[in-house]
Amino acid sequence: MVEFSPEVIDTIIRAAALLGAGFAMIAGIGPGIGQGYAAGKAVESVARDPEARGNIITTMLLGQAVAESTGIYSLVIAIVLIFTI
Amino acid sequence: MIEFSPEVASTVITTVSYIAAGAAMIAGVGPGVGMGFAAGKATSAVRRQPEARGPIITTMLLGQVISASTGIYSLVIAIFLIFGI
Amino acid sequence: MKDIDNPHKVQKEILKKTYLISLLPIISSLLAGEYDITLGFVFGLVIATLLLRLKYNNIIRALSMEEESAEKFIRNRYFLEYALYFLVLITAVRHARLNFLAAAVGLFMIKFVVISWSVIDLIKDTFQSKIDEYK
Repeated sequence: MVEFSPEVIDTIIRAAALLGAGFAMIAGIGPGIGQGYAAGKAVESVARDPEARGNIITTMLLGQAVAESTGIYSLVIAIVLIFTI
Repeated sequence: MIEFSPEVASTVITTVSYIAAGAAMIAGVGPGVGMGFAAGKATSAVRRQPEARGPIITTMLLGQVISASTGIYSLVIAIFLIFGI
Repeated sequence: MKDIDNPHKVQKEILKKTYLISLLPIISSLLAGEYDITLGFVFGLVIATLLLRLKYNNIIRALSMEEESAEKFIRNRYFLEYALYFLVLITAVRHARLNFLAAAVGLFMIKFVVISWSVIDLIKDTFQSKIDEYK
């Protein structure tokens, strides 16, 4: 029967937490693509209806701020994994 | 009972954090793809409606300012992992 | 949000608001005697300002291109910008007199201002339409 000393277990857990933090940040791809897509569509609709540009820009910024939240979730998880485990 | 010497433990943790930093940097792809999409839409919009050039530039600039930030989140995490702050 | 037709004026407005808001952390960290935080914050803010100018110039150049080449151009420029951010953050980590987290917050400052500006605009518009309805 193989047994691990407490230091080995600590090392493995710490290494796994760091690896998990790195992989958590891959979630940043999603908001990036989505925000760029929203900007492209907003540009298109400004060209179609220049009168409504104020509303379009405000809506685009709010939508991007909301889309940002998944990126912030992954950031928070990564920071928790790095600094508390 | 398996035991690690301190050098082995620190080597394992350093290796794993470099791998995780590399994985975290993948998130930088997303904003690039999204911004490229927005730029393509903006050129075709300006071609179609040259008089709406000003609002189109403003929309794209604000959109790029917001969408670049998810990339920076992953950079911050990668640097935490590399330098072990 | 007025002056939308003139990107130059919008840039100036955003930078003015950003500097006004960042006076608060700068002054408070100076008063607390944490000069590392002040220096890091100002470093991040200066880089963010310069990168805003760079983004504007890139957009102006991209608008005169064909659709596919503009897409490729902005994508490549974004990766260059990403490398610049990496260099800036590495510098902030390696240099003893620059606080890393303060530099990162300085880089994000313009974005916070843009988002809070649009939220304040939305609230103002909602109240205005409510008041108009009441009249």
